Amino acid sequence: MLQVTDLSKTFGSGDTEVRAVDGVSFTVPTGVFAAVVGRSGSGKSTLLSLLGALDKPTSGTIEVDGEVISRGSDHQLIRYRRNQIGFVFQSYNLIPNLSAMQNVMLPMEFAGVSRRERRERAEALLDQVGLKGGKQQRRPAKLSGGEQQRVAIARALANQPKLILADEPTGNLDSKTGRVIVSLLHGLARSENTTILAVTHDLTIARRTDMTFEMEDGKLTGGHDVEDLAGASVPG
Amino acid sequence: MSVTTRGVKNAFRNTIRSISITAILALTIALALVMLLSLKAVQARIDDVKASVGNTITVTPAGARGFAGGGEPLTAAQIKKIEQTAHVKSVTSTLEDRWVTEGTDAPTGPNGETAGSTNLQSAIDAGTLGNRNNANSGGATVSGNLPENFTLPISVTGTTAPGSTAVSGVNSFKLTAGENIDGSSSDYVALVGKALAKKNNLTVGSTFTAYGQTITVKGIYDTGNTFTNAGVIMPLSALQKLSSQDGDITSAIVTVDNVDHLDVTVSALEKKLGNKADVVSDASASADTLSSLDNVKTIATYSLIGALVAGSVIIFLSMLMIVRERRREIGVLKAIGSSNAKISWQFVSEALTLTGMAAVIGVIGGIILSNPVLDALVSGSSDTGGGPQTFIAGPGGPPRGGAGGGPTIQFGGGLSRGFTNFGDVLSNVHATIGFSILLYGLLAAVLIAVIGTAFPSWLIAKIRPAEVMRTE
Repeated sequence: MLQVTDLSKTFGSGDTEVRAVDGVSFTVPTGVFAAVVGRSGSGKSTLLSLLGALDKPTSGTIEVDGEVISRGSDHQLIRYRRNQIGFVFQSYNLIPNLSAMQNVMLPMEFAGVSRRERRERAEALLDQVGLKGGKQQRRPAKLSGGEQQRVAIARALANQPKLILADEPTGNLDSKTGRVIVSLLHGLARSENTTILAVTHDLTIARRTDMTFEMEDGKLTGGHDVEDLAGASVPG
Repeated sequence: MSVTTRGVKNAFRNTIRSISITAILALTIALALVMLLSLKAVQARIDDVKASVGNTITVTPAGARGFAGGGEPLTAAQIKKIEQTAHVKSVTSTLEDRWVTEGTDAPTGPNGETAGSTNLQSAIDAGTLGNRNNANSGGATVSGNLPENFTLPISVTGTTAPGSTAVSGVNSFKLTAGENIDGSSSDYVALVGKALAKKNNLTVGSTFTAYGQTITVKGIYDTGNTFTNAGVIMPLSALQKLSSQDGDITSAIVTVDNVDHLDVTVSALEKKLGNKADVVSDASASADTLSSLDNVKTIATYSLIGALVAGSVIIFLSMLMIVRERRREIGVLKAIGSSNAKISWQFVSEALTLTGMAAVIGVIGGIILSNPVLDALVSGSSDTGGGPQTFIAGPGGPPRGGAGGGPTIQFGGGLSRGFTNFGDVLSNVHATIGFSILLYGLLAAVLIAVIGTAFPSWLIAKIRPAEVMRTE
């Protein structure tokens, strides 16, 4: 479960001070695919950076499965990113000179997983996200946008994280492929019992998630929790 | 794939850039190696020259050059002053004398001066040079003509260090029979050169006469030099007493504690002895040669440093460019859990791969180019030096070389001071490649890689993944 309490992030000081995230609090249960929607500059990407321990909050706490990650040392944050978090980026951010398989194996290498085990798991994950056979050995440049995003999702799942953070995961994809990727994420949240939080400005995607939060000027201005959506069909 | 493997693989990510970096680095490593080899070769040659010069200084009475000059002999008081000079380790005093064979018409000086007489026969024929030099050097009669039955006088050296190569001015001194004599003794004993011994049928224990006194042969020596093998060596006090030259010294060989102190000691002695003595060392004669070698050494040193700095700058700029180019990738690696150390090592591995390839090419190039470049450096620097110089000094006198431009030969009737050819020094500098040099080359490559990636690694640590992600 992801629990955020009174989270703030301020850049600059004095007259130039900008509160990118301003007293945000919310909770996302385990196994839920949630979305944060908002316009550009609303602070959603900063929120994602804070949740992913890429940046430290000015105040407030972030708890993932009871572990407070907002006050950890740099070393602890690296370990947290390695073991508890998976990232999916808008432009995939795969390492260009590594194959799809090697890209997926990378986080496991950092976690100290044996070579044989990471190869087997990478293959299974790529199968799970629908990238099979010879494509697993292809470099990113030889894959389509949708396929690259599948590789990125498989990489995010590599170390069985408790939380997957997706930044505009369909931003570079056509609507059809985008829908497929959203469905994939949704299914994975359930099957892997992982919390997935995506930030997007695409409301059509937001509507297909279990929970949505709206963000404006660094604050959460509205949202629907999972109870509100109870009984709704799983997007597909 | 391990971090190191990824780093090695990344080195080939951009083929054209990798080839360019490797080629330029190889050139700098080759240059660094050539300069290192040159430096070692030149340093070895400088050491050789210094060793061949020796750490001795010869002090002679002002105006004296064996039997060709004049002036007043050195005194015990002057020897004491020499001994008390800084850096002086020891002083060997010598007195040169010459004996005329009894029964021959001894040449006399203009004032009727005569040499001592002996029953020994000279082992050297006078020949054209002997006749001319003795006529020119005052050995002739007042009328200027040599006697008809003239034979070369026998050179005698009285010394406190019999058996010393410095005293005899030779490269080797070997007793072929008998034993050495005590230089501080006043007994009438002698070492006889093997040619003189053969000419006069002398063996160990034989006696001969000089100044009417009987002298016992204690040993027979061989120096490999025709002139010195025809001479006699006695204890200094014995010769002084025998020839009635009490306290007289015709040369002092001063041993300095370190060859690097030769010049300063020469200056100190010149100051102390004033115009009463001539002070000479081989150091001044070899100064031009050493100066040329020092020039090469300086060029090699600066070029070596320059090459290493250039190599470091090249790899530094290349890695800086690569790090900046892969900023996003570094951010992603951090976001998915890599530590700064692992990312830095990946880039160091990449730099090591590039410099390693460059080192292999550079070392091969350096080995091929070392001697031609060294030749060019040496010949370029030797233009400022003098030509070959040959030194053959007069009896007991110091070596007196030419001022450069061609051979200068000076000849006398006493023991030769020796032979040194500094001209060969410049043409005999050769670089040799040993295992240690190859090791240095590899070490230089590693150093270049590590120094070159130090700042980029710091930059890697400073990259904040959040900022990189924000620029999407």
